Amino acid sequence: MAHKKKETNASSSFFWTALTTIATLIGGAGATGWVMPDLPWLGPRISALASTLGLDGPQAQAVETTKPDANSWIPSTAAPGIHAPSAPTASIAYAPSAAAAQPSRLQPAPASTPASAPAAGPFAAPGPVPPTTPPQAKPSDAVLVASFNIQVFGESKMAKPQVVDVLARVVRTFDIVAIQEVRAKSDAIIPDFIRAINADGSRYQHVIGPRLGRTASKEQYTFIYDTNRIELDTASVGTMRDPADRLHRPPMYARFRVRTAPPERGFSFWMVDTHTDPDEVSQEVDALADVFVVMRSARPDEDDVILLGDFNASPMQFGRIKKIPSIGWAISGVPTNTRRTKTYDNLIFDPIATREYTGRWGVVDLQNTFGLSIDKALEVSDHNPVWAAFSPWELPASQGALMQPAAIPMPVPLR
Amino acid sequence: MSTANNPDVAKLIEKLASNDACQRAEAAEMLCHACQACPNGETPSAASLATLPLVRACGDCDERVREWAIAALEDFGPPPIDAIQHLVQLVTDSKPLIAYWAVTLVGRSGQSAASAVAALAACIDSSADLSVRQRAAWALGQIGPAAFSARPVLLQAAGQSDSRLALLASEALEAIGS
Repeated sequence: MAHKKKETNASSSFFWTALTTIATLIGGAGATGWVMPDLPWLGPRISALASTLGLDGPQAQAVETTKPDANSWIPSTAAPGIHAPSAPTASIAYAPSAAAAQPSRLQPAPASTPASAPAAGPFAAPGPVPPTTPPQAKPSDAVLVASFNIQVFGESKMAKPQVVDVLARVVRTFDIVAIQEVRAKSDAIIPDFIRAINADGSRYQHVIGPRLGRTASKEQYTFIYDTNRIELDTASVGTMRDPADRLHRPPMYARFRVRTAPPERGFSFWMVDTHTDPDEVSQEVDALADVFVVMRSARPDEDDVILLGDFNASPMQFGRIKKIPSIGWAISGVPTNTRRTKTYDNLIFDPIATREYTGRWGVVDLQNTFGLSIDKALEVSDHNPVWAAFSPWELPASQGALMQPAAIPMPVPLR
Repeated sequence: MSTANNPDVAKLIEKLASNDACQRAEAAEMLCHACQACPNGETPSAASLATLPLVRACGDCDERVREWAIAALEDFGPPPIDAIQHLVQLVTDSKPLIAYWAVTLVGRSGQSAASAVAALAACIDSSADLSVRQRAAWALGQIGPAAFSARPVLLQAAGQSDSRLALLASEALEAIGS
């Protein structure tokens, strides 16, 4: 198990863990299903009370950290045929975000200049959260991570203002969204979408991968994230190398960190975005098990890997993924397609390593949430967004069963 | 495959042949939505009717039409039995995306597509597009023992330098048996 940059004050950590647990339980932990993220109301109030009482929690502590090394990829021998890149960003096509016009320290660096990351580390130097107030209040006790297959996300979709409006509102609900199925020759689709998202004053940015696919029909992955709350490790973005060609669209990965907490304490994690070929699901799901293992050992200072996307498979069909010790997944027993017939989308992670998982997850039902007919909902996508909530604070991996957050109802099947 | 009982789909299929690319794109998207798989796994009637027009639309000159047609076909289950003979004629189409999707749908038919074995073997042998050759090997594996006559072609493909083609051919040979 990799060890992270965490030197915590044990008693304080216990206090905050207990507080978060209580707040989560009372405030709606385990709430599942067809809901928008039902944000626990108690957490922010407890935080406000703690602040009033001068209990600033972990934020107040000075912590020595180990600086992540932007080039610390470790070639893995655990999964022949699939490798994290030896040099980051080797196969990634960066696209400047629409928000690039606004001053920001978190611009994606050109692939050829990964050394342009701040000297203090691959993340931007710590700084205050930008003054822009998010238009939609997001929980202070959780970071909301989502996956959304936006079917054939291209010119046709962007030409429909009502569709773009729904898509933008979905994205604004979350801190990071892993998107699949960007299908367009034009490079302007996602920058245009970012402009639509940010039209209300939001500060989202994106990082996009190359066009992938074995035929002339290509797809791109993209991560869209709220720069008020999340920062991208610009030196840790790329596409999995797949020399044996086991995956129709090799996953895109990127490392993020929550910036509402001090840099040394903010939850950091890999996100690995995937979309399997529906005709080769079992083979690809097995290959994704290797991807997960490779990513988990890609950096010694990062043990949190969230593999998410459209698996075209329900958890019952997760094959070798299910054999990874302690693996779990957020979405279970709830359909994720718009017609509510299949559970194809999910977030997979190791809940022992990723103790930051709060146990809260859901599927945004496009039809119900936005009051759409089935036809109008299908114009948005044939998939509903799926999400899970994580603590904004980096937590050490559990050392054993006693450390598991057993008090929190977890719909993730622990193995 | 009469469209008489499904006039809406018939209109969309007609629109798919329009000279106006925007009209074609709209038709492809609406057919995509109409062709979503039924909850019980049955092929919806719209999909049955639209199979061949959508495969042909994969070769459209307009990107939007192609992508919506492909999105529709991705969600299809096995095509209707009576479409197989028509799909077989498309597996050697000069437009790779048409050939690729015709081969894919034939493969999804499994052993029902035994009549397509010779055409698929010819694909592996002569298609200029690697993705079509790979998918043809996969399709023969889906057909299984009924594809026995394709063994020589698959044995040759299993020795090809392209590792994916070689793997799929080997898997097909295993599925076919000796």
